[in-house]
Amino acid sequence: MNKKKMLILLFVLIISTFILSACGGDSAQEEINLLDSDWESIEELAQGQELNFYMWGGDERINQWVDNYAAQRLKELYDIELNRVPMGPNDYLNQLLAEKQADRDPGSIDLLWINGENFITAMNNDLLFGPFVDQIPNYHKYMDTDSYEITRDFGYPTDGYEIPWGKAQFTFIYDKARTENPPYTFAEFENWIKDNPGQFTYPAPPNFTGSVFLRHIIYEVTGGHEQYQNIESESELREKIRPAMEYLRDLKPYLWREGETYPATTAQLNNMFVDGELMATMAYSTVLASGEIESGNFPATVRTFVLENGTIANTHFLAIPFNAPNKAAAMVGANFLTSFEAQLEKFDPQKWGDLPVFSYEKLSEEEQQQVDNIDLGVATLEQEVLDSHSLPEMPAEFIPIIEEEWEKIIGQ
Amino acid sequence: MDDKYEILKPYILLLPALIVLIVLFLGGLVSAIAQSLGYFPLIGLEEFTLNYFVEVLTDAQFLAALRFSIYISLLSSLLSVILGVFLAYQLLKLADDNSFISAIYKLPIIVPYLAATLMVFLIFSQSGILSRILYNLNIIDNMNLFPKMVFDNNGIGIILTYFWKQLPFVTLVVLTVLKNINTSWEEVASNLGANGWQIFWNIYFPISLPSISSAFVIIFAFSFGAYEVPYLLGPTFPRALPVLAFQRYNSLDLSQRPYAMVIAVTLAAISFVLMLIYKKLIKISKL
Repeated sequence: MNKKKMLILLFVLIISTFILSACGGDSAQEEINLLDSDWESIEELAQGQELNFYMWGGDERINQWVDNYAAQRLKELYDIELNRVPMGPNDYLNQLLAEKQADRDPGSIDLLWINGENFITAMNNDLLFGPFVDQIPNYHKYMDTDSYEITRDFGYPTDGYEIPWGKAQFTFIYDKARTENPPYTFAEFENWIKDNPGQFTYPAPPNFTGSVFLRHIIYEVTGGHEQYQNIESESELREKIRPAMEYLRDLKPYLWREGETYPATTAQLNNMFVDGELMATMAYSTVLASGEIESGNFPATVRTFVLENGTIANTHFLAIPFNAPNKAAAMVGANFLTSFEAQLEKFDPQKWGDLPVFSYEKLSEEEQQQVDNIDLGVATLEQEVLDSHSLPEMPAEFIPIIEEEWEKIIGQ
Repeated sequence: MDDKYEILKPYILLLPALIVLIVLFLGGLVSAIAQSLGYFPLIGLEEFTLNYFVEVLTDAQFLAALRFSIYISLLSSLLSVILGVFLAYQLLKLADDNSFISAIYKLPIIVPYLAATLMVFLIFSQSGILSRILYNLNIIDNMNLFPKMVFDNNGIGIILTYFWKQLPFVTLVVLTVLKNINTSWEEVASNLGANGWQIFWNIYFPISLPSISSAFVIIFAFSFGAYEVPYLLGPTFPRALPVLAFQRYNSLDLSQRPYAMVIAVTLAAISFVLMLIYKKLIKISKL
């Protein structure tokens, strides 16, 4: 009987030590200098590794694309096992911060889908590995490495710590069965809302889409985007955006529920749009509407529009955390995701509809042909229209301040 | 040798669970308290101060959120408890165990809060199922006439969700206690001419009061600290306390972190007080 007791005791002790050692972590790992090696040896090293890809998981089609297409191709090409982990930037940054505090290396994340304010937070806290972008062959092969949208992220230099892998542009979504002619000038937009009281709203910031809607109003009401590239102080910014916030406050009586409350998510906004409670919704995407029509979630009469002064566009990127356990796999993964093959696949609205980052001029004639053949869907505006109505993002550090002002002025 | 071993044994057996508790829970609590006091070396904050507490506890947005959270939890818990006790008493009177009814009333317990939230949203929003039925019956002319029950300042949608989820929980807890009450008291009372109301009020209610109260404390503490229901169904102004805390915590402006932690610590402190009350009530019920 005593023997049995001793056995249980031993078992418990083993479990305890296991838990304790798991908390400790072990950083001794052989590592070649990935920033100096040639691409062949990086590819060789990546063979058979795991790739934990942390990304926002709120869109089922994007998830499918990553799980089915990207994971499968990486397995075929490099025997890399891609695990998609659905986690928004706020959460994975908190995780990385905690790992940094606890000195945990290797960590748990290999590749991040990141941009804007999140990238700046990561940079300011030394959470990223790099500069690795120069090492990625497809960066040089396909991208216009001098263009503003590739070297800058929300006005902040990318410095080779993140590689572009997609672009997005904001569009408004309406139903032409309800609104024959969508507004084009800002005055028309305002009248449209006022003539249809209670049928327009936007998601409450800090929701991502709600937040970018605010920035459009700021550009429209305060006289364009240029001035926001040279703001000297926080108080100057608060002063400058004030008219826009007051404009939104005065618009409240015409909004859904008289602007007393706002939907928390875009899913709810879209839901109310489809149910006919709202006459419009919005997306930081040019093809979302076409995709939703295709999958039967939006009526076939849904279309998109941009305003005369343009809508905001941005680039989104991939980055590697400072403590990524499999940095080689992360680099090979990033190279694959920026390849022509993956970018073309991603551009197809049936699959995802994300705008590609390659420069059209750098493509071969055959590749250009393939791009031209893609059917962008009934609700998608011509690429020319989108390009000529594209506005840059504001510096990312302004965003929390704008959201705070909104809360203060609208919440009264 | 054997004696020593006997003394140590329970502690050793507890070790795995204790390690997890201490590292995860206590570690988290300590760092939350440290950050709420302004100690966050990662962004260069290294001095302890009570300023964040003073600032948050006098902030209008915080106070509105606190009021809103207390209001929601209090109303939903009271409703659940009152109707839950009533339902339990009625179930007790069912002649034999009706397995159909007892399965039906327990159903909401296994439905996740998120699903319950979605259900309330689909049924009670202005473009929801109920509104459509009323519209098709020509009772309302357009959906804006349907009462605002989701995203509303009165938190009706949130309260409905909590009520639907928590009513069966209260019923289950109270029914178990009621079943164990000696029925001869009831017989004696009715022999002496007590009516049904008097029997409930003078016999069943006082005996089950401690478990009724502890059920109340449990559901109150839960709805007070839960995030997803008020996030999805609540108004933008005021936000519920947990929503506000998470929003501040998630802010990319890391200097917001101490404020978030003050809210979290306040939430934890209130829950701690509730736990003490709960322990007291358990003690009473054992007397």
